[in-house]
Amino acid sequence: MQNQLLIAKNISKTFDNVVRALDGVTIDVRRNEVLSVVGENGAGKSTLMKILVGVYQPDSGELYYEGEKIPFPKNPMEALERGISIVYQERGVIPHLKVYQFLFLGLEGKFTRLGRLQLEKIIGIAKSVFDELGVKCDLGSYMYELPLSTQKMVEIARAILSIRLAVGDSEASKITPIIILDEPTAPLSIEERDEFFQYILNLKKNNSFIFVSHIIPEVMKFSDRIYVLRDGKLVAYHDLSTEKVTEDQLFREIVGRVSYYELYSVHEYGKAEAENRPIILSVQNLTKKGYYSNITFGVREGECVGLFGPAGCGKSEIAKTLYGEISADSGKIIVDGKEVKIKSEPHVRLRVGIGYFSGETGKELFLYWPIRKNISIVNFEKIVRKPFKIASVISFKAEKELADRMIKKLRIRAPSVETECYSLSGGNKQKVSVGKWLEKSPKILILEDPTIGIDVGAREDIYEVLLEMKKKGVAMILVSDDPKEYAILCDKIILLREGTIQKVYDNGEFRRVMEL
Amino acid sequence: MSKNLKKDATTFPIPTTTWRIVRGNPAIWAIFGLVIIFSSIVPEKFLSTSNLVAILKNFAVTSMLAVGPTFVILLGSIDVSYMGIWMFGGALVWLLYPYLGLASILIYPVFGLLIGLFNGIVHVKAKIPSFILTLAMTAVLAFLTTYVRNISGVLTLTVPAYNFLRESPIPYLPAPFLLALPTIILAVFLMFFTKLGTYLCAIGSNEEGAKLAGINVEKYKILAFMFSGFLVGLGSIAIFVHLGNQTRVDFDPSELVRGLAAIVLGGTPLAGGMGGPHRTLLGALVYVLIFNGLFLLPGVDPNHLKLYIGALLMGAVIIASKALKGALIT
Amino acid sequence: MKEVRITSEWAKRNLNTIIPLAGLILLLTSLRIANPYFLASWDSVITLVYGMSFFMIAACGLTLVILMGSFDFSVPSVLKLSAMIFAVLYPSLGFLSIPAALAVSLVFGFVNGLLLARFNIPSFMATLATSMVAEGMAQVISGGYTRMITDPAFRAISTTMIAGLPSIFYWSIAIWLISIFITMATPYGRAIYAIGGNLVGARLAGINIRLVRISVFMICSLFAGVSGILYASQIQGAHMQVGVLDMIPLFASVVVGGTALTGGVGGVHRTLLGVLIIRWLDSGLSMIAIDLNIRMIVFGLIAIIMAILTIDRRRIKIMK
Repeated sequence: MQNQLLIAKNISKTFDNVVRALDGVTIDVRRNEVLSVVGENGAGKSTLMKILVGVYQPDSGELYYEGEKIPFPKNPMEALERGISIVYQERGVIPHLKVYQFLFLGLEGKFTRLGRLQLEKIIGIAKSVFDELGVKCDLGSYMYELPLSTQKMVEIARAILSIRLAVGDSEASKITPIIILDEPTAPLSIEERDEFFQYILNLKKNNSFIFVSHIIPEVMKFSDRIYVLRDGKLVAYHDLSTEKVTEDQLFREIVGRVSYYELYSVHEYGKAEAENRPIILSVQNLTKKGYYSNITFGVREGECVGLFGPAGCGKSEIAKTLYGEISADSGKIIVDGKEVKIKSEPHVRLRVGIGYFSGETGKELFLYWPIRKNISIVNFEKIVRKPFKIASVISFKAEKELADRMIKKLRIRAPSVETECYSLSGGNKQKVSVGKWLEKSPKILILEDPTIGIDVGAREDIYEVLLEMKKKGVAMILVSDDPKEYAILCDKIILLREGTIQKVYDNGEFRRVMEL
Repeated sequence: MSKNLKKDATTFPIPTTTWRIVRGNPAIWAIFGLVIIFSSIVPEKFLSTSNLVAILKNFAVTSMLAVGPTFVILLGSIDVSYMGIWMFGGALVWLLYPYLGLASILIYPVFGLLIGLFNGIVHVKAKIPSFILTLAMTAVLAFLTTYVRNISGVLTLTVPAYNFLRESPIPYLPAPFLLALPTIILAVFLMFFTKLGTYLCAIGSNEEGAKLAGINVEKYKILAFMFSGFLVGLGSIAIFVHLGNQTRVDFDPSELVRGLAAIVLGGTPLAGGMGGPHRTLLGALVYVLIFNGLFLLPGVDPNHLKLYIGALLMGAVIIASKALKGALIT
Repeated sequence: MKEVRITSEWAKRNLNTIIPLAGLILLLTSLRIANPYFLASWDSVITLVYGMSFFMIAACGLTLVILMGSFDFSVPSVLKLSAMIFAVLYPSLGFLSIPAALAVSLVFGFVNGLLLARFNIPSFMATLATSMVAEGMAQVISGGYTRMITDPAFRAISTTMIAGLPSIFYWSIAIWLISIFITMATPYGRAIYAIGGNLVGARLAGINIRLVRISVFMICSLFAGVSGILYASQIQGAHMQVGVLDMIPLFASVVVGGTALTGGVGGVHRTLLGVLIIRWLDSGLSMIAIDLNIRMIVFGLIAIIMAILTIDRRRIKIMK
C-alpha cells in the first residue's frame, strides 16, 4: 500500500520491569488522514506516542517509514527529522510570549547571526506559514490574548514548522508531516472544539494527524480510522470509511466490559432505604459559561447521585463548583434548606456540610504527615477538649485512638499511626483519605475519581466504606470514568453531554443500558 | 475572536504600533502625568536646568540598579544582590587600584558576573529561594564593604584618579548618564534581539512548556543570573562616578527598595513571564520623577523619605499584583 | 549491616535536630576553651539572658510565619517602631502607651497578611514594603533622636529580678511556651503546618487560608511589638539603631533551629536551639574581638547553609 506512511510493529514497553505499558501494539499511519488512538487513562496511549517522538525507547518492535525499516528516534529532534512532531495536552503553550516568538521558540538557531536574531526574517516566515495554514491571528499579540482554539492552531503550526526546519527546505515539500495531537480538546470549551476540528480537516490534505483522545463523540465525528487501546493492548480497530460504529460500541470497547467481570464481582448496590427521606442538596439552574449550563438536580439523604458522561461533559467542573473550588456564573445551591453562595471557598462549604474526596494522590493528602494527623485534619471537633470557651486543645490520646480505629477498620497496612503517608502504597493512601471523611460523615460528600489508579482489593475496601457512609445517611455525588463505579454506588445516574443534562437513569436502567 | 482578526497579520515587519506600546506600558502615562503635575505646581524649580540634569543623574543611578535584575524577574525569580555587587565591587576597585591602575574599574563587571554565576548555580542546583539567597549575598557583601572601610582606616573608599570620568563631553548630559548608556543598550539588545530574552520570558511564563519546547531551562536560569550580575557590575561604574569615584560603605535598605520599586513600577510582574528592561527604564524614570518632584514641594520633609518609599512600593506591588492571580503565592 | 542502615536513616531523618544540637555542644565547649570566663559568673549569665530574651520573642513570631511557608521582613522594623512608640508616648500616657504600641504592631501584621492573602503579593515583597513604612514612621515620631526614659517603673517591666533572673527572661519563656502550645496542640497550629505543607490540600480540607494567613502575620507582628516594648524597657528607651542588625541573626536562628524555608517542617520549639546557638556564637565571637561586620557575614553564611540543608526538596517542583 503506497498510501502507508509509517508503520510501528509489535511495540512493547515495560516500566521498572513490572508495569507492562504496551504489549505488542501495531499501528499504521496513512497519508492525509486523521487517525485516532483512544483508550482510558493508563491504557498506554501516551507511552506509544512518546515512543514515536523519541521520548521513550521501546523494549521491542520495528518501525517502517514508507516501507523502509528505520531505527526508532532517540530524541525529539530525530523524530522531527523523520517528520513526526507532537502537540502536548495543555502544558505546551507559553502564555506570555508573542505569537511569532512562540512559533520559533527553540528553533531560533538558524535565524541568528552573531547572536542577533533576524527578526524580519522570522516574522516573514511566520507570516507565510500562517497564510499557508490558514491561521488567522496577529503575529504581535500575546499567546494568552488568543482564544484557546487559536492557541492550539498556533501550536500545530509550530509543530509543522519545526518539522520543516528540521528536514531542511529541499526535503520539506516532499514529506508528509505526522502531527500527534495529545488530547488537544481537553482545555477547549464546547464551542471552540468545532472550530478547532474544522481547522484540522483543512490541514488534512497535506498532513497526517494522530489524534489521542478519550472523548468519543469527537473521535467518531472527525477521524478516518480508530485504534482502541486497553491495558497496553490493541483491542479493536475500525475503519470508518468501510464500517459503521456506534458511540455505545466504542465506549464499551474502551472501558472493556468483559474484563470487569474478571476483575471483581459487581456489588449489589446499596439501595437507599427510604425514598421519602428529605432532599439535602438541591442544585438549581447552575451555569458556568463554556463548561455546563442549567444543571438542576436534587440529592436525598443517604442517596448517591452519579454525574456520568464522556470526558469534557462538565461533570468534574460541576463537582468542583459544588465544593467551592471553582465558582459558577449563576444558579443556586441549596443545602438543607439554606442557600449557599455560589462563589465561596471550600471552608465555607465544609461548614455547611459538604465534603470532597478526590482520588488524585497528593492533592488532599499531606504526604509528609503521619496518618494520625491526616485523619484528624477535618475531625478536630471530635478530638479537642475545650478548657475554656474559645480555646480548643487537641487531645493526642483521642487523636491516636481515632487514627488507630481507622487503621484497623480500613485495614490500612502501616506499622503505626505515626507512619508518614508518603511511604504508604497508593491504595493505602486512598484509604487514609477516605478514612477521614468516614469519621467526619458530612451531610454531603463529593467523590471525584475515588478509586483512580489503585488495585482491586483496595477498591473493594473503599467501596465498602462508601456504602457504609451511605447507610449512615451521607448523601453523595460521584464523578468518575468507570461505569462500574456508578453501578455499585449510585441510586440515580445523571447523563451529561456537552454540559447539559440529557437523561436520568435509576440504577437498574443504568445497568441494563451499560450491560453491566 | 473578532478583536484578534481585526489586525489580521498585516503589521509587518515588526508588529508593534505606538498605541500598543503605550497601552502595554502604563508607566508612560505616569511619566506624562508626573511631569505635568510638577511643572504646573513648581514650574521654576522643577523645570530648571540643574533640576533636569539632577533627574538624569538619578535616573542613571536608579536604572543601573534595576535593569540587570529585571532579567531574573522575567524568570519569576528575584535577584537583590545588586546592592552587594555595587558596594563591594567599589571596594574591590579601591583595593586593586594600586596594582591595576586605571584598569581596575573593569573589576566591576567581572565581579558582577562572578557573583551572578555563583547565585545562579546555587539557586538552580541547591534549589533555595532566589530572594533569600541573593539577599544574604547582598548582606554578606555589604558587611564586607563596611569591614574593608573599617580596617583600612579611611573614611571613604575614594579613587580620585577617575576624576576625568566625571566630566561630560556633552553639555547638559551628565557623565553618569553617558556611562549608563552602554548598559541600557546592552540590556535592550539582549531582550529584543537575542533569543535570551524570549527564553527567559518563556521560562517565567511556563517552565514546563519551555522544557517541552527543548529549552535547557537550568542553563538559561544561570545565564539570567550571570547577565543580571554583569549588567549591575557594568552599570555600577556610572553610580561609582556619580557618587564621586567612591562606593557606598554602609548598607541602607531604602537603596535596596529603590531597584525593586523601579522594576515593579515599570510593570514587570514579580510572577515573571513578561516585561523587560525597557519597562524598568520607564519605571526608574517614574521613581526618580516622583521623589524629585515630591521634595520640591513645600512642606515635604526629606526625613520622611523611607515612609514615602515604603508606601510607594506597597502601592506599586498592589497595582502589579493583578498579574499574579491564580499563582500559588507564599 | 542492618543496624548501620537503620542508624544512618534515623540520622538522616533527624538531621534537623542533630546538626543544631551538635553545633551547640561544639560551640559551648570551644567558647569555654577560648575564654575561661565564658559563663563563669552569674553576671555573665544575666548578660547573655538579656541578649537573648527579646530576640527569642521576635524569633518565635518569625518562626510561625516561616512555618506557613511565608516570610516576614518587617519583624525588626516593627520591633523598633513599637519600642519607639512606647518610649515616646510613655511620658504622656504612662503604661497606656503599651496598648498603643501593640495596636500599631497588630495593624502592621494585618496589612502584611492582607497584602499576601487578599492581594496575592509574595510575602517577602509585601513585608519589605511595610518594613520601610515602619522605619519611616519610627523616624517621624522620634524625629530621629534617641529617647531616654529614666522612670524606674518603665525599667521594671524587663529588669525586675525574680529568682536571680530578670523578668524579661520569664516573659520570653512564657511566649515561647505559648507558641509551642499553639503550634503543637491546637487545630489552629495544625492549620499553620497544613498551609506550609500542602496549600491545595489545606484548602480542600476546609481550612480558611485567608484567615489563618492574616492572623499568623498579626501574631508575628504582635510578638515583634512585645519584644520591642520589653527591649525598650531593658535599655531604658529607644533609638533608631534598635533592630537594625537583627534581621540576619533572626533569620539565621529560625533556620538553624531546623525550620525549613519552604514551610511545614520544623517548629517553634526548635527555634530556642537556634537562638541559643546564634546568640552564644555572637557573644563568643565578640569576646575574641571579631568585627561586627564579620559576625554578620558569618550569620548570613550559616543561614544560607542551613537553609540549603533543611529545605524539603522532595516536594518542590519549581523553585522561584
